[in-house]
Amino acid sequence: MTHRRYQRSLLLLLLPFLFGVTLLVVAPAILSLGLAFTHYDGLSAPSWAGWANFQALATNQLFGIAVVNSLLFVAISVPLRTLLTFGLALLFARPRRGVGLYRAAVYLPTVVPGVAYALIWLWILNPLYGPLNLLLGSVGLPTPAWLVDPRTALAAVALAAVFQLGEGFVILLAGLQEIPDEYYETATLDGAGRLAMVRAIVLPLLTPWLLLVVLRDLIVSVQSSFTPVLLMTGGGPYYATLLVPLLIYQTAFERLRFGEGAAMTLLVFLGVGLLIALTYRLFGGWGYDEAV
Amino acid sequence: MMKPSEPQRAAPECSPRRTQVAAGPRSPFRLRLRAVGFHLIALGVALTFLVPGAWVVAASLRQPGTPPPRRIEWLPNPVSWSNYTELFELLPMGRYLANSLFVAALAVPLTLVVASWAAFAMAQLPARWRYVLLGLAVALRMVPLPALWLTRFLVLSELRLIDTFAALLAPAWMGTSPFFVLIYYWSFRRLPPALIEAARLDGLGPLGIWARIAWPLARPATVAVSVLTFVHYWSDFISPLLYLKSEARYTVPVGLRVLQQLDATNWPLLMAGVVVMVLPVMVLFVFVQRAFWVGERIAGVQGN
Repeated sequence: MTHRRYQRSLLLLLLPFLFGVTLLVVAPAILSLGLAFTHYDGLSAPSWAGWANFQALATNQLFGIAVVNSLLFVAISVPLRTLLTFGLALLFARPRRGVGLYRAAVYLPTVVPGVAYALIWLWILNPLYGPLNLLLGSVGLPTPAWLVDPRTALAAVALAAVFQLGEGFVILLAGLQEIPDEYYETATLDGAGRLAMVRAIVLPLLTPWLLLVVLRDLIVSVQSSFTPVLLMTGGGPYYATLLVPLLIYQTAFERLRFGEGAAMTLLVFLGVGLLIALTYRLFGGWGYDEAV
Repeated sequence: MMKPSEPQRAAPECSPRRTQVAAGPRSPFRLRLRAVGFHLIALGVALTFLVPGAWVVAASLRQPGTPPPRRIEWLPNPVSWSNYTELFELLPMGRYLANSLFVAALAVPLTLVVASWAAFAMAQLPARWRYVLLGLAVALRMVPLPALWLTRFLVLSELRLIDTFAALLAPAWMGTSPFFVLIYYWSFRRLPPALIEAARLDGLGPLGIWARIAWPLARPATVAVSVLTFVHYWSDFISPLLYLKSEARYTVPVGLRVLQQLDATNWPLLMAGVVVMVLPVMVLFVFVQRAFWVGERIAGVQGN
């Protein structure tokens, strides 16, 4: 088979994938761009609305609350999870006896399906019978009402989400293994301590991997917060855990305001894009990336 | 291919050359002390991640109707299995399980074919194409899914797929997750180019080379992607929530939600439902645990 023909028939293998992407991502994305400027209830034909949906959102108090809550949720959960992931990756980076089992234990909560995970935490955080408060109470610590108290509810949802950090953990472990041993050896000869080594070698070399983990976490915080919030709090108490995906679901699928839902959707796209750009700037780009 | 009986071993590519990180003149006693310290911390971490699981199992074995415990319970007295039988009497749990298995059984092979074909083409195409497609895969990973729920619903309803299993299966047409395409891509990029060149000169087309060389050599990637895909469809709550109507087609995650709506305070019953849903995933995870480690790193051609 000639080179030319070989390459052309390679494209055939790509077709199913490109078909799926067009159908499930590209077409919906374009559709939501159009839909955001219409009134549509899924029954009668959509009618042009201009900027009306966006203007409605600007004065919609619930949307404001949901945006603030979502940003707060990201601000709590992303740094917390990244720090914990980084610490665990450092702890379990070196091969030694038993480390495989420890790594497996850390990864295990990540494979628990979202619905089951939410129900488990709903029970653990139960203010009266939940194991967490029984444990805290038995050692004389305060026992907050967690999900029932508007002041702690959002933090409690973020806390529950922290333990599903397996993907980032694996990425950072892989990143740590890319750092050549000689660097550590040279630093030891120079008399560097542990902390100095983390600061001078690990952090700079791990920057691209950390950035990857943070970006992934940002996006996942937006999409994976829906199931826990729907099952654990339903957005309450007093809208304390109303996040944007839940509001989209309620607006579009429960109240059939597709146009308004699409307008929110579009703003989520923009917001996440903005957060990604901001984080990228904060990290100063990919740094030493030679991966891929 | 990894076997569960093999002894625990850390990520394989690094073990032989890895030396003491903070090596220095140390007495054996201090080294041993440090090892003990490490294991104490590590055990603490592992327990923090595992103990909630033990609580869940204990709660699911509690006799229904008894008042909730006032202190932490590691094993209820008496142990009662009736929550598990009640689970199947109260709801058509067997049907939900069968539906979930059916969806996963179709989604896994479709995902494997679509993802590995796309990845093989990506790995073989010239650099310019490769970078465009890699960029596409990474960009797809960055799309927040809630932004697609609504209009995906409209596309699916236009195709008359609402309230069918096909709606749940749909993501398999794009390899379920762009990440799975990347796993295969990294695997295929490590194949020796000379091998493929030789097969090509022997007259094999892309499909033949994929079937006879690339696919068999990427077995560790296939293990990793199969497991992750199964877990994805087994756990998927949002697609059935948005795209299904008839109860007869409900899958396990929606079943659990129904159970919660029936009686949100019957913790023993709810936790029994959780165990039934989590157990298959845990068993799978324990068996192919090592595929995960190599997994994300390049889905382990090295695992061989």
